Amino acid sequence: MYNTFFICRRELASFFFSPIAYVILAAWAVLMGFFYSGAFLSYATVSMQLARNPQAAAQYNITPTSAVLEPVFSSVTVILLFVAPLLTMRLFSEEKKQGTIELMLTFPLRNGQLFLGKYLSVLSIYLIMLAITIVYPIILSTFVKVDWGIVSSAYLGMILAGMAFLSVGLLASSWTSNQIVAAMIAFMILLATFLMEALAIAASEPLSSILRHLSLGMHMRNFIRGIIDTRDIIYLVNINILCGFLVLRSLEYYRWRG
Amino acid sequence: MIRVENLTKYYGNLRGVEDISFRVEEGEVLGFLGPNGAGKSTTMRILTGYMPPNSGSAWVADINVSESPLEAQKNLGYLPENNPLYAEMTVRAYLNFVASMKGMSGAEKEAGIRRVLGSCGLEDVAHRLIGNLSKGYRQRVGLAQAMVNDPPVLILDEPTSGLDPAQIVEIRNLISELKGNRTLILSTHILPEVNMVCDRVVIIHQGRIAAEGALDTLAAKLQADSTIRISAIGVVDALSEKMKMVSGVERVELLGASTGEEAHFEVHAKGGDDVRSALVAAVFAAEGKLTEIRQVRLTLEDLFVRTVSGEQKHDEETVNV
Repeated sequence: MYNTFFICRRELASFFFSPIAYVILAAWAVLMGFFYSGAFLSYATVSMQLARNPQAAAQYNITPTSAVLEPVFSSVTVILLFVAPLLTMRLFSEEKKQGTIELMLTFPLRNGQLFLGKYLSVLSIYLIMLAITIVYPIILSTFVKVDWGIVSSAYLGMILAGMAFLSVGLLASSWTSNQIVAAMIAFMILLATFLMEALAIAASEPLSSILRHLSLGMHMRNFIRGIIDTRDIIYLVNINILCGFLVLRSLEYYRWRG
Repeated sequence: MIRVENLTKYYGNLRGVEDISFRVEEGEVLGFLGPNGAGKSTTMRILTGYMPPNSGSAWVADINVSESPLEAQKNLGYLPENNPLYAEMTVRAYLNFVASMKGMSGAEKEAGIRRVLGSCGLEDVAHRLIGNLSKGYRQRVGLAQAMVNDPPVLILDEPTSGLDPAQIVEIRNLISELKGNRTLILSTHILPEVNMVCDRVVIIHQGRIAAEGALDTLAAKLQADSTIRISAIGVVDALSEKMKMVSGVERVELLGASTGEEAHFEVHAKGGDDVRSALVAAVFAAEGKLTEIRQVRLTLEDLFVRTVSGEQKHDEETVNV
């Protein structure tokens, strides 16, 4: 655990040393702010109109949480599709390219500790990014009543989905010594899981439900609506376990091949 | 302290090392010699537990590397070839990181870092970024990193490669100072380096051990058959006839074309006898004028070139002392 902590700390220091960190964080803050203000303003317009028409208001049942926060939280997964590969691409590939992995693998250290340290470092960066977005429900709560139950469920979902995305990125990074290639592979895998939902609509029954269950977006949706389903949790956690296992195999293979 | 038995490693169909065995006793400095691609780095990587062998076993600090790699690695300091470092860290932060990786903490870690900063001459650059340091300093950081946990076994893969001559001397002195009572394996393809720091050498070629032995016994073995070059003015036949009669002389060769009146001979003598004064007397007995006499010494270079080029002069197939 001690080793893991120091690997995590070194990765964080190295991340914040590079300009990429600030570019990603800034882009994240701007994009999220853009989505939030867009949703907020359109909700303001709609709620104004509905205030004049109580019949329609009863029919649609629009709450501030569903109208403003749901679209914002949904967009997090989409942005993460691009951001997760960028955050994870250098973690293993850079060490392979610089040769520092040789030293890391000769320290009295298990491969699992190495993986865990890197995983925790990138997870903490992601949690910092998520923490920035908490201001939006807080701002909203100063104007209207926010359903904090749904907000917490959504954050749980975003954390779990983020973990799955990042572990896929780490896996791609462990496969190559080229950062760009790592980012592209991770992006393709994540994109494929998104596209599965679209494929599911076209496919016939047994295949269709299999594809729907494999899609990441499907499993995110329940959390954002305030539904915590163990199937979704198991799915997202399993992605982490699978990727972690494959990273360890990849490191073994790297050692063996030399 | 270090033991390697029948180690074999193939990269696909490519031979890394095949069936090599050697031992290094406690406190000994072993020079690992060989041309590029001979299998030096492969052997070292197996010893450090970075890479598993196809077959055979290795022991570091009497711990089997394949069976308990973590225990073996705790007793190890390793400087890989090309000395990979994290350029974005300061020297101190890097040493702190490495010390933590090696399981050190608290006061012990602090003391270890301060010790290597001192012994490797890094105090002045402790707070500078590694990426901004000169190659010589980076090499010192690599050495400091290997020694931060004061390991009983040090493995250095070409510690002086890519340095300028002044830096080479610097690092070499540093290694001589640091060896203390550590067991040290040092790979190189620079021969004088071996002469200066090593007690024993293993010459490895195409993945196999070509020669092995203590430096002075190896040298003595080489000197056992002495070769003497003589130049003299006089009658060639008479000169060689008289020289052949000197006891201990095995054969006398006339070398190439004589320049003017001067003839050049190469005399091979058996055993440790010094035949030089007897040869001088022989030249005078043949009524010749001696112009030059010189003992040809076989150096480590000669041995290296002979073993590596597979040339088998005299009875030296493999010099095993």
